[in-house]
Amino acid sequence: MHYPWWYVPVITAPMLIAAVSIVHVLVSHYAVGGGLFLAVETAHAYRTKDREYLAYLKGHTKFFVWLTVVFGAITGVGIWWTIGLASPLATEVLIRTFVFGWATEYVFFVLEITAAFIFLYYWGRLPEKTHVAVGWIYAVAAWISLVLITGITSFMLHPGAWLDPATRSFWSGFFNPQFLPQTVARTGGALLLSSLYVYLHASIALKEQRLRDLIAARSARPALLGALLILAGGAGWYSFMPESAKAALAAAAVLNVLAALIFVLTGVVFVLLYLGPYRNPGWLSPGFAGALVLFGVAAFSTGEFIREAVRKPYVIYNVVFGNQILPNEVAELRSRGYLEGARPEGRSWTNAYIARHFPQVMDPANPTRIDEKKFLDLPRSEQIKIGEVLFQYHCNDCHAVHWGYSAVAMMLYGRTEDMHLDMIENLDRAPFFMPPWAGTREEAKVLAAYLASISPPRPGGMVPQ
Amino acid sequence: MPPLDATQLPALPAPFWFIQFFKVLGFLLHMVPMNLWYVGVPLAVTLYVFGGERARRWSERLMVQMPIIVAAGINLGIVPLLFLQLAYAKAFYPATILMAWFWLAVIGMLIPAYYGVYIYVSGMRDGAGSMTVWRRAAGWCSAVMFLVIGFIFANAMSLTTNAAAWPDLLDRHSVAGAATGTALNVADPSLWPRWLLMLGLALLTTAAWTVLDAVWLAGKEGGAYQRWAQSWALRLALAGAVWSTVTGAWYLFGTWRPTVFKEMFAFPAVILTVLTAVSCWGPGALLWATRRKALNWTLAGSVVGLQAGVLALNAISRQIVQNIELRDVFQPSVAAQPTAPDWGPMALFLIVFLAGVGVLIWLFAQLAKAGPEPSLDGPAEPPAA
Ligand code: HEC
Repeated sequence: MHYPWWYVPVITAPMLIAAVSIVHVLVSHYAVGGGLFLAVETAHAYRTKDREYLAYLKGHTKFFVWLTVVFGAITGVGIWWTIGLASPLATEVLIRTFVFGWATEYVFFVLEITAAFIFLYYWGRLPEKTHVAVGWIYAVAAWISLVLITGITSFMLHPGAWLDPATRSFWSGFFNPQFLPQTVARTGGALLLSSLYVYLHASIALKEQRLRDLIAARSARPALLGALLILAGGAGWYSFMPESAKAALAAAAVLNVLAALIFVLTGVVFVLLYLGPYRNPGWLSPGFAGALVLFGVAAFSTGEFIREAVRKPYVIYNVVFGNQILPNEVAELRSRGYLEGARPEGRSWTNAYIARHFPQVMDPANPTRIDEKKFLDLPRSEQIKIGEVLFQYHCNDCHAVHWGYSAVAMMLYGRTEDMHLDMIENLDRAPFFMPPWAGTREEAKVLAAYLASISPPRPGGMVPQ
Repeated sequence: MPPLDATQLPALPAPFWFIQFFKVLGFLLHMVPMNLWYVGVPLAVTLYVFGGERARRWSERLMVQMPIIVAAGINLGIVPLLFLQLAYAKAFYPATILMAWFWLAVIGMLIPAYYGVYIYVSGMRDGAGSMTVWRRAAGWCSAVMFLVIGFIFANAMSLTTNAAAWPDLLDRHSVAGAATGTALNVADPSLWPRWLLMLGLALLTTAAWTVLDAVWLAGKEGGAYQRWAQSWALRLALAGAVWSTVTGAWYLFGTWRPTVFKEMFAFPAVILTVLTAVSCWGPGALLWATRRKALNWTLAGSVVGLQAGVLALNAISRQIVQNIELRDVFQPSVAAQPTAPDWGPMALFLIVFLAGVGVLIWLFAQLAKAGPEPSLDGPAEPPAA
């Protein structure tokens, strides 16, 4: 409509955002917590004159820089790439609102990278105090960048006072009701996940039992603290969620299973940490550390997935719908037509597309306007084609077609066209985490015809047929 | 064509000149390291195999610094893209969505290209004779991927200003009106000279790096290396000037739209156009004139300064051309969008920016104390684990 829609078969374009985000957070939380680990532990190793530990830390820093500066940084840019492609309108709104948040974050980002390179390449060449200070510059800059990006991502779930034009500002958007809980949870995540990576790295790279035990014992407390912060932040996240998002979490079978899973997984990690590194540092074998990382990564990925999913039907809660329209456009689209677009001047992408491919439905008096009434005069095969355009632009952000992510055909087994029409016209009631139908009655009819053309018959083998 | 009731979106949170300034500045800064990997990596991997002793030293020196150069370039690239998305979204998003898979492939290629550099560099330590085949191959793959990424960028940026081509591209690459993301802007004649022009600029930047590195960091290489570097820089700079002139002329006279042509050749813009065109001979001319003098800081600094001028003129001219080309998308002009400057967060940014510069200065001051020889010879290697 406002922008061309990107059709990604099977998984749908927004699921690419989820995929890239999950990969990114698994590294970016380590980039924050790992920095803290390196600063604190390098200082400790200097203080205790533990040369072996220092040697290990240097090796770990290499691994750290190698992973975070390349993979962490580029996948972060990758999220930005994918949101622009799969959610252009939402990205535009976010950038217009928070450009200076990003610009500020960027400054910290530059500090992070510079400090990381110096911390590594000047190892052993700087006075100890200076070296540790560089480590702290990295750690603090990395944590602040976590805080800054969390202000923006939490805004997407709950813009809070920003929604009211009277109190709309960068600050009211940034310090939204979700800001604090999510910052706490992400800080905890950084502590926990980085400790788990440290365990895995140490258990593989270190042969010496003394050092392994030292690392296991020293990192157990931040890890346990991290798990507690995640649980506290998670509780805050839930209680400060918009009421409807809570309902969506409860109503969607997948989501409530997953939400329970996060708590279970975090609990498992907590118990393993307590029994393992905290009470019995000697347990730290690659197998044990690997299991810990696996549980941690599973909890994180689940959390990130829910964070994306629970905002439905919005991408930015109450600001931009998943199908890339603004809530205050709905009424106008219902009267003017979804394909037409809400803007009085200019032409939408769908309008231009229809004009090229179905010139017979354009209004002769005004050839840049679609006359939806004419849809119903078209042969059925043409109606279905226009219905497919509507599906792409109104539904494909949440539904694959025949099979794949929430594929619509799979949900329509055996339904009649009247049922489709009824469902479309009551879209935001069936279920409530779909956006409202934003088209004319004729558009609903051709979409129903399209759905009928792809919905499979009632499966056989059921009694009574 | 892409419509959105502008009154329903938050207005631009900064004056247009501010956005424009940071976009151009960011692009200028991004070009410096980007140029070095764009042409530097292919040249370095080639010379490492086919070059003489000094050429191999040059190649090693450049590649040892490459992990940091790439990090800097990626980072600096974020700035112009942020401001591009802020004020030019209406043109930039449609273009990149039409070519979505290719655009996303930039990320997919950047990660292996960057790791390829690391792998290659860690292999270099063993000396050319003993560098394993797969480490060598990693370097070559990186070189190719950087060139391909450049090609995709040239597509994205030329398609951004080629709104007339959008409807046809959408038709040919769509399912029921939704983009499949498989289009490229290859039918646009300006794509090719634009892509190739950057290679010319990159040769020039590589020349400037060569003399700067030779006077600054290559102290222990000895005078013979410096003399070689000076003449190598001269050859690079002349090649860059010839290349830029040919591709630049192709771009201007072969592909500029009449409106762009008319405006860029009208007074006073014509001064900028001509300066941009002739400036690419500056570094080469200076190196030629001083070819019999010993390389020193003044000379190296002047070459770097001239090349900074070349890149700045290019960045500014490109911005003006882009704004002219985008007039049909942003009526009456991209600069005329409603703005509502948001001074608070802007002040936050500027203060943090200044403080950040302060911290950077402190960091580099510590390095100076650590001794004259930066430990670039100790490149990061893939982790032990
Ligand atoms: C913002 C996301 C979103 C959009 C846009 C969206 N849906 Fe849904 N839809 C959902 C979710 C989530 C479900 C629940 C899926 C589940 O329970 O597995 C759902 C369920 C459905 C169902 C099954 C529910 C039922 O019993 O009727 C149908 C059919 C459906 N959607 C069709 C559509 C059509 C047609 C469109 C476009 C007009 C559309 N959806 C747009 C999110 C969306």
